[in-house]
Amino acid sequence: MKKITIDPITRLEGHGKIEIFLNDAGEVENSYFQVPELRGFEKFSEGRLAEDMPQITQRICGVCPEAHHMASTKTLDDLFHVDPPSPAKKLRELFYSAFYVTDHTTHFYILAGPDFIMGPEAPVAERNILGVIAKVGLELGGAVINARMKNHRIIHMLGGRAVHPVFGLPGGVSKGLNEDERKEVEQIAKDSVEFAKLSLKVFDDIVLKNKEYVDMIVSDAYTHHTYYMGLVDEKNKVNFYDGKVRVVDPDGKEFAKYSPREYLDHVAEHVEPWSYMKFPYLKKVGWKGFVDGKDSGVFRATPLSRLNAADGMTTPLAQEAYERFYSTLGGKPVHHTLATHWARLVELLYAAERLLELSRDPEITSSNIRTIPTATPDEGVGIVEAPRGTLTHHYITDEKGIIKKANLIVATVNNAAAVNMSVKKAAMALIKPGKKITEGLLNRIEMAWRPYDLCLACATHTLSGQAPIEVVIYNSKGEVVEKLSR
Amino acid sequence: MDGKTKTLILGLGNSLLCDDGVGIYVAAELKNRVDRPDTTVMETGVAGLSLLDLLVGYDRAIIVDAIQTVGGKAGEIYRLEPKAFDTALHTASAHGIDFTTALEFGKKLGLPLPQEIVIFAIEASDVSTFSEECTSEVKSAIPACVEMVLQELN
Repeated sequence: MKKITIDPITRLEGHGKIEIFLNDAGEVENSYFQVPELRGFEKFSEGRLAEDMPQITQRICGVCPEAHHMASTKTLDDLFHVDPPSPAKKLRELFYSAFYVTDHTTHFYILAGPDFIMGPEAPVAERNILGVIAKVGLELGGAVINARMKNHRIIHMLGGRAVHPVFGLPGGVSKGLNEDERKEVEQIAKDSVEFAKLSLKVFDDIVLKNKEYVDMIVSDAYTHHTYYMGLVDEKNKVNFYDGKVRVVDPDGKEFAKYSPREYLDHVAEHVEPWSYMKFPYLKKVGWKGFVDGKDSGVFRATPLSRLNAADGMTTPLAQEAYERFYSTLGGKPVHHTLATHWARLVELLYAAERLLELSRDPEITSSNIRTIPTATPDEGVGIVEAPRGTLTHHYITDEKGIIKKANLIVATVNNAAAVNMSVKKAAMALIKPGKKITEGLLNRIEMAWRPYDLCLACATHTLSGQAPIEVVIYNSKGEVVEKLSR
Repeated sequence: MDGKTKTLILGLGNSLLCDDGVGIYVAAELKNRVDRPDTTVMETGVAGLSLLDLLVGYDRAIIVDAIQTVGGKAGEIYRLEPKAFDTALHTASAHGIDFTTALEFGKKLGLPLPQEIVIFAIEASDVSTFSEECTSEVKSAIPACVEMVLQELN
């Protein structure tokens, strides 16, 4: 193969790029996934008041502002050495569960659903939400909008506005719920549970009963045996808001479990000359390249990872769905990347049930929602599960709480190595010498990264909220053979 | 304008990422210049279907945003309509939920969405560096864009 040097300067800013290189025989030799690196966060944060960070950092992402808001809030708890009162923690988790319902709903129906509901070979004009509602009915489209609207109402209730809420404070939250609001949340939660059940049924009817789709899900082209990461509570059950980070190995055995403050002991970053982006890996396994397996430190942090890393769900219907998920796919852990879409729906059900549970908690209308910090701030780490994966914020301040240093690791970065591997494997399985590169084929390559639900700040521009990606295929002479820009 | 048409001027962008915030800065300036009961000026950093939520209830929308085109010159301003985004890189997702599709989705569901949408897009230079200020070429386009929107409004 002709050696092609990727010149960083030629990369287009503002969106992701996948470059696939063919050898002389027309087979895939290599592929590279790049996203624009967001530069200068540390410099930007220096000199700012740490207490402003929940408001500032939620503006990083137009799709999951609540995730940054919550990670930042928890970082402030740690920074100021303050433990919020129990009602505050429950309110935060209630708020966060509502957010999860909106986010997972949007991803499944707008981004993932069309692949399966319309089929990967369907014309691109139909492979979208319009095609979905034409096939499954307008009513479902209305249910999607409703689920989002109602749960945004909860965010608005607690945060003062649906967009960029003002909610998390070090040591608690800014607003609680009165009884009327609680009743409203309870009703929204009941409706959300029904909607989540319906969504799982849609998946069941359209995907699991279709042999072609099931074959695709379990095919080797979309399978990687990696380590898996997710937050768990004290009983090792999935929790989006709080707990410890648990990592399991490709056999499903617990490999590590750590508190947020210990993250740097467990996760290191690898640098590649062809990418701005760094690739996190498990320090205690080591970087062995873009390969999977027990000896490789590559890990994934996705809805599938969360289910793999945990021992179950705390709510009954989600637990049932979790058990069905694993019994259908042959046990734990599941390594099939496309199963992430199903895992997302199990989580949607959990988020809705958890929302209902919390709305009925006797403490949820308490006015004891803040403990004022009194300790001197110094350093804090906060971790939550963003819908896309584990999100970490880390601030170091002076004694007045002015930031000296800040770092964050977002979900997309956690999964960077895995995305590269997923794309390459799918490309190698699908692109063969002499085989025409069709729209459907390129879509099947896209399906390799879609489960990761890439979230980049530049997604602010997109109606879908997902990163626009360009796929470019080069022949062995470095000439562009095919280009797909979305 | 007949005074009965409800218009939304929406400044779109990410005000933490340098030129990506230009739409928001244009909208902030327009808030000082527009004072009419039939027109709302809003700034937002949301993405996805949440954008659709903001458009509901208006007859007409003027959206201001950053854009990056191949060969574009930083600071250039384009007047576009949603159809122009069928093939643009940023507003189309990996699933074809481009702006036009999303609007169509909303209309099929009976959401009262604007009949007329105009987009003013400013060519951005840097959308990846954390900064609450635009680069100089993009910053200098803000006043011109404000005037273009005001002209469009009237």
